[in-house]
Amino acid sequence: MSALLSIKNLYKSFGRNEVLKGIDLEVAEGEVVALIGASGSGKSTLLRCVNRLEIPTSGEVEFRGEPITAANANAVRREIGMVFQRFNLFPHITAIENISLAPIKVLGTSANEAKAQATALLEQVKLGAKADAYPGELSGGQQQRVAIARALGLKPKVMLFDEPTSALDPELVGEVLEVMRDLAKSGMTMIVATHEMGFAREVANRVIFLDSGRILEEGPPEQVLGSPKQERTREFLARVLNK
Amino acid sequence: MLAGLALAWAGLASVAVAQGSLPQIKQRGELIFATDPTYPPFEYMEKAQMIGFDVDIGNEIAKDLGLKAKWIGLEWAGVLGSLESGKCDLAMAGITITAERKGKGYVFSRPYLLSGQEIVRRKGDTRINGPKDLVNKIVAVQQETTGQFAVAKLGVPKDHMLRFDQVQDGLMDVRNKRSDATVGDLPTLKAILQKGFPELELVGEPFVKETLGIVAWKNNPELVGLVNRSLNQMMVDGRYAVAYKKWFGEPLTAKIVGELENRKSDGSPVPDVPIAAMKELPQPKVTGSSFSFRWEVAGAAIPQLIKGAELTLALTLLSLLIGTPTGLIFALMRISPVKPLNWIATVYVEIVRGTPLLMQIYVIYFVLPAVGVELSSFVAGVLALSLNAAAYISEIFRAGIESIDSGQMEAARSLGMDYRVAMVNVILPQTVRRVLPPLTNEAVALLKDSSLVSVVALAELMRMGKEIATNGGSPTTVYLTVAVFYLAMTLPLTWLVRRLEAKWQPISRPRDGARRLKRVAA
Repeated sequence: MSALLSIKNLYKSFGRNEVLKGIDLEVAEGEVVALIGASGSGKSTLLRCVNRLEIPTSGEVEFRGEPITAANANAVRREIGMVFQRFNLFPHITAIENISLAPIKVLGTSANEAKAQATALLEQVKLGAKADAYPGELSGGQQQRVAIARALGLKPKVMLFDEPTSALDPELVGEVLEVMRDLAKSGMTMIVATHEMGFAREVANRVIFLDSGRILEEGPPEQVLGSPKQERTREFLARVLNK
Repeated sequence: MLAGLALAWAGLASVAVAQGSLPQIKQRGELIFATDPTYPPFEYMEKAQMIGFDVDIGNEIAKDLGLKAKWIGLEWAGVLGSLESGKCDLAMAGITITAERKGKGYVFSRPYLLSGQEIVRRKGDTRINGPKDLVNKIVAVQQETTGQFAVAKLGVPKDHMLRFDQVQDGLMDVRNKRSDATVGDLPTLKAILQKGFPELELVGEPFVKETLGIVAWKNNPELVGLVNRSLNQMMVDGRYAVAYKKWFGEPLTAKIVGELENRKSDGSPVPDVPIAAMKELPQPKVTGSSFSFRWEVAGAAIPQLIKGAELTLALTLLSLLIGTPTGLIFALMRISPVKPLNWIATVYVEIVRGTPLLMQIYVIYFVLPAVGVELSSFVAGVLALSLNAAAYISEIFRAGIESIDSGQMEAARSLGMDYRVAMVNVILPQTVRRVLPPLTNEAVALLKDSSLVSVVALAELMRMGKEIATNGGSPTTVYLTVAVFYLAMTLPLTWLVRRLEAKWQPISRPRDGARRLKRVAA
């Protein structure tokens, strides 16, 4: 079976700062991949290159075997959902409107249908009661769950999570991870940049350790997290787990 | 607050008052003349120096009284009013003696010059050969001059009369073919046409004969008595003849002197004060301000001020309606990645922000006709205000768009929206809420700036106020009333916007923060 998403020899520089130094990665349908690594190792940049929020300096990202280009980026993005560290909900419209806006404007879904779908998605993230709340009236954990529902609104084939719990108070992390766990169980293909090692161990099929823009180590969670081969991985895990 | 304003005003007046009683003038050692120095050959600026016939005569009068002459240059609209407010002792600006002005409290000296209302047309425009031909034409006049009164008397309807601040503006308007003719004081028109406007010419002889006088406020007849003495003296000892020859380019004839003597009674009846009396005056006691709000003047002004306010509102609203979307378009061009669009918008904004609005109005009204673009006063005014507002509004929008967190655009794009859809549905709705306060500022500024279009003959609120004040009403009262009118338009606007902001408050987090801050402070 060919990969749903394949990243080939990807380089990305910001000015003279080379952030990604040749990434090769294939993600199969239904797979959950955890990206781990220190801050600045390139996790976010890698995710942002996948849906072309950042344009790669060289190399390619293929979705279903087709390279993603400027011309097809908008179309491909409909099938790649993204969840941000800082939620980025639209503050001027309600939770349910946040979810239905893209289906209406991008897919041309009727307002009624979009609303029905959005209501179902809010139920899925356990926020059925908050449909008419504005983002400013929701807690961080609730906002992030709305953001997940919003990304799901276009029925994407892949979901990218960019440190979805890093901006949350510790007591709110659990509710977001729970939603993500359910999503993984439903068979969604996911790439998750995270510092939550427990989540990675439990949910991921594969863990990838990024260090200074390169993939240093990858494999099943019990191997990478339990008995890492590389000294740098061991150092990183020791730092994260002792926090 | 208004009471405070009035108090401050009165306070100012008492400091600056040059109440024209003789003892005060004597103590000051200066005789203060108000004039409008755009009026050759009577008074005009040359090499930063005010010169002219009036200046020479006025200086001689001051000398006769043992005083130093001091000249204040004002707009014509402010010249007569400055007498009542005590900013000056005498007004001298080629001012025609009229019964109407006397009735309003102005005291005139004996006539010191013969003048008359003269018509100017484009060279060879044979449709206009005399006053009767003006009736169905468009006629430019200088506002609140005897030229305007003479044209009105001919039966030219008000909407056929374009009223300007300066004689020169009227001449330009005839040259630009918007007006068919202009009417003004013969000596001034002659002097201006000698130096410029080769496309224009005088039509025959003056159709109204007039005499000019020197003016004081009604509390000061003794000063006028002294002026008369000095003028009489000058006519006899030859100083008058010298000034006449110098400024009008022809010798003073016995016929002119005789005519001036015959019309001596044009001046106001005043006590005959020997010049020596000035020198024997005792040291004065200081008197206070004479400010009082004259309700009857304010009441009489209101119907006209309402008309002016209507025009002000129309100008402002139309300019906002045109300027806001135009400004938004320029803002989008400025942040556009397409370089040429970016350049065009940047150049536009810099040019408009870097030049005075008054100049832009002049260019649109007086210069565009030279390249074949004819605009009515109203259209030119709206156009100038809209284009000006658009530049400022575009900067407001640009700053507003740039203040929206970049994560908003990224989230929208990650949902498959293209740039346009993201702008329209995500970025701009947030921008509008955020720029509302600075946009209100701009709207209020625009409302006030709209007074500048009065230079292209639009009788908006400020111009109406000026006209009423020039016309002999108490300027202080009139301008305070105008201030109330402006407040009556700006305060509801700011109130409305505050309501809107309050309505949108729970929506965006920063405001929530502000509200929390307030609660903590309380």
